[in-house]
Amino acid sequence: MINLLNKELRLSAHLLSYLFLAFSLMALIPGYPILLSAFFICFGLFQTFQNGRETNDVLYSALLPIDKKDVVKARYIFVCLIQITAFILMAGLTSLRMVFFASAAPYMNNAMMNSNPVFLAWTLLIFALFNTLFVGLFYKTAYRFGKPFIAFIVASMPVICIAEVLHHLPGLEFLNTSDRLPLQLMLMLSALAVYVSATIISCKAAQRNFEMLDL
Amino acid sequence: MTPVLVVENLIKTYPAFRLGPVSFKVEAGSIMGFIGRNGAGKTTTLKSILNIAHPNSGSIRYFGQELPGNERAIKQRVGFAGGAADCYPRKKIADIIAVTRNFYDNWDDAAYRKYMGIFSIDPQKTPRELSEGMKVKLNLAIALSHRAELLILDEPTSGLDPVSREELLEIFAALKERGVAILFSTHITSDLDKCADYITYIRKGELVASDTMESFLSGHRMRGEGSNLEEIMLRCEKEDYRDKFAE
Repeated sequence: MINLLNKELRLSAHLLSYLFLAFSLMALIPGYPILLSAFFICFGLFQTFQNGRETNDVLYSALLPIDKKDVVKARYIFVCLIQITAFILMAGLTSLRMVFFASAAPYMNNAMMNSNPVFLAWTLLIFALFNTLFVGLFYKTAYRFGKPFIAFIVASMPVICIAEVLHHLPGLEFLNTSDRLPLQLMLMLSALAVYVSATIISCKAAQRNFEMLDL
Repeated sequence: MTPVLVVENLIKTYPAFRLGPVSFKVEAGSIMGFIGRNGAGKTTTLKSILNIAHPNSGSIRYFGQELPGNERAIKQRVGFAGGAADCYPRKKIADIIAVTRNFYDNWDDAAYRKYMGIFSIDPQKTPRELSEGMKVKLNLAIALSHRAELLILDEPTSGLDPVSREELLEIFAALKERGVAILFSTHITSDLDKCADYITYIRKGELVASDTMESFLSGHRMRGEGSNLEEIMLRCEKEDYRDKFAE
């Protein structure tokens, strides 16, 4: 698996998958739908799948002396590595904002979502959607990425809208404040559980589909 | 001696195409020419025996071991080259090799440097900077560096100029002398006249013959169906379009 992961990082990965990690910085932008940062990070990962088709990555991998299902597992691990790196960056920036700039005017008067543990929870849900809908559906053919990415867009955009609307509803203001931290952290941990289980289930299904494919 | 590859009753069906049953075997240190016109099922057969397409039925044994369940160990001993294997065209060859070498237990760096030197391949180049002939040589260098005992080559001479084709055929002959077996699919039959020991011929997905070159040629010669592979294939495959247009 180490060798396959090395291949993912050095041969398969598109440079934009790494560069788009910089979209994590959007967590600090006031007056902007900051959840789009998660979408852009997934868009960076999409470039690796597109690049893989252009470079015959799947065929190269299938001809190696490995178990075919490990090709899929290695790709999921790569995707998760990028997502977890983004999550850690966002979590660090969120902590900075909450500790040092919690009462700064741009954040206090922000009609949009501020970065807090609830924002991190929504981020994990967007990542879970990407892993389930895009990556999972991609491995039904191992070459079609258009429809899977449209499925991800169709599912993730309403989630981003709902996330921006919910904290305006009476009784749900706590979703966008810096107090009620324990409740917000609980929501984040629940989202983490959803992310982990959705990714594992999707990976196992993708492995089964990939093994049955004629390449 | 156990054949390096035995294929028995291989059948693969697609909605618009049926391959097989196909049976043949490849002996160690021999060259098997796998012929048929475009679309006859050569690539489907090779994909099936490499387990990148799933046969509906049949048995595939390498070095006496069944492919299912032994794929990892078998692929350590098999090399593949073909037009479809043009991977990572914009990465430096040195970077591709740095990753690839780790997958093979028997990778030999000295052999790698030797073959890259023999084939005059600059590892600082990218695959897209290589000619088609050089790409085949690169894949051969990789296969030989992990001491592959069987090379599966899908139309390696297609699209090459006559000098490059001649060079490759010389390389195949030299490898055969070193005990490497080669399964070589092509529709350029004149290449096989020069080097093949055995011939497997498929037509519209069906096996026509699998025999030694000598007995394949003498059988067809006796029936007046031509004296070399090209004449035999033309006799078997040619369709009369003048009649078809006249209908």
